Amino acid sequence: MKLHMSLDYTISEGALKPYFDALLRGDALASRCHSCGHVGFPARVICNICGSREMDWVTLSGAAEVIHRTDGAKSGFALAKFSGADTLTTVALTNPASKATIGRLSTPVGARPGLWLKLDETT
Amino acid sequence: MINDVWIAGGAMTPFNRRKDESSFRDWARAVVQDALDDAGLEPSDIDALVVASESDFFTLQLNPAALLADECGLVGVAAKRVEGGGASGHVAIQAGVADIAGGLARRVMVLGLEPSASHLAGPDVGGLYALSFDAWTDGMTGADSTSLYALSALAFMERTGAKHDDFARIAVRNRAHARHNSNAHLPLDIAVADVGASPVVAAPYHRLDCSPLSDGAAAIILARKADLPKLWRTRTRFVATAGATDCVRLGERRDPGFFAGKQQAAIRAYKMADVTPTDIGLAEVYDSYSGAQLQAVEALQLAPDTLRAERHGVFNADGSLPINLSGGLLGQGAPVGATGVAQILTAAQQLEGRYAGQQPARSPSRALVDTHGGIATLNCVSILEAP
Repeated sequence: MKLHMSLDYTISEGALKPYFDALLRGDALASRCHSCGHVGFPARVICNICGSREMDWVTLSGAAEVIHRTDGAKSGFALAKFSGADTLTTVALTNPASKATIGRLSTPVGARPGLWLKLDETT
Repeated sequence: MINDVWIAGGAMTPFNRRKDESSFRDWARAVVQDALDDAGLEPSDIDALVVASESDFFTLQLNPAALLADECGLVGVAAKRVEGGGASGHVAIQAGVADIAGGLARRVMVLGLEPSASHLAGPDVGGLYALSFDAWTDGMTGADSTSLYALSALAFMERTGAKHDDFARIAVRNRAHARHNSNAHLPLDIAVADVGASPVVAAPYHRLDCSPLSDGAAAIILARKADLPKLWRTRTRFVATAGATDCVRLGERRDPGFFAGKQQAAIRAYKMADVTPTDIGLAEVYDSYSGAQLQAVEALQLAPDTLRAERHGVFNADGSLPINLSGGLLGQGAPVGATGVAQILTAAQQLEGRYAGQQPARSPSRALVDTHGGIATLNCVSILEAP
């Protein structure tokens, strides 16, 4: 038997809505723990270091350095260190043909809210 | 220690990409009947069913436990479906062990299955698997399983000095083990150079470093000794089963290349069984990717120096700690819900001396089984004891 389904989801981001709204603008909005100061990007609601639920928002510059990078036939992904963040961040590369090791947060490709990094091709 | 939970019997279908127009319902009926025959039991002897199936997107069947109880001639049993990503089958076994140990059931049928290969096109399956990580971050960028495993492997390689040839050796060896396994999906006669020559999927991983998408089913019956009066002396005993989770996002882990959640699960299992890693004589380890096997062995603390042990053949069939004699996921295959069930079945049959595939050089008295979902995000470790 054959069956084709097309599903159109509308997903509420809840407490992380400010983070996702910022991503769509190309802004890196991180969470900063009110208790231990840990800065998480992507943002978190509960601190993964001390468990505090008291979090502030902090806007990062969006500049990032590639720490590990993997390339496939048409795409590239990286673990990147965003300036000001205490975590690494998994990002998709908007311009994987570039071999640059620094870049900047990009507005999401296709208006999906994931994390995209545009590598700085002038370096 | 778990005191009184035994593996009464079990069965599995071949793992492969089905082209014979059979359905997952057919596979379920077959393994349930074969497991009953293996245990010398009747359907009326079973009072609980635990179904492992990762995703309704694959079966396109919500409430599958009730459906499969009916399809397999088990109407009337208590039934539930459990899920833990790639570890779904192992989580189902843990649920069954808990039912027996807690006195909620006398004999539990654990049934794992997944039509991972034949129901959907490969890219669609890949898109669904991308939701196994953080769907709101990794998933939305289209980050696939291989790319995320690759980033973890790169961190592991940087820390340990492991080379791609170390990964490729595992890809070759597990496929060689699979050549002795009539149920295996990829029984290949390949060399290390073939792995490096296969197309790059996400560096450092090439196609032959990756486990396949498989269809298939496996079943195990769990019971107390008193409910297996004729069989228990010849059957494997569960002495420990434990779990632990890690941060979902790789970048939030202290070391993205270290499987800390798996290590925590293993430590809990060793403590529960009152054994040390040196007491383990055989292991079935979750090798979704060749390098992931090495990362798993490190986290499970199965050798003082993982890389040195790997390079010296410790984990070969004739080594002191054979790993993945079934072929593992790389060779035997990976129909997700069935994977963990089949891993435990393989280890049990090895301990009972009735495994039909690749044999270890020495008869082990204890085996370890390791399964995970995500990038070792949800981890299960069990320890089994020979009759």
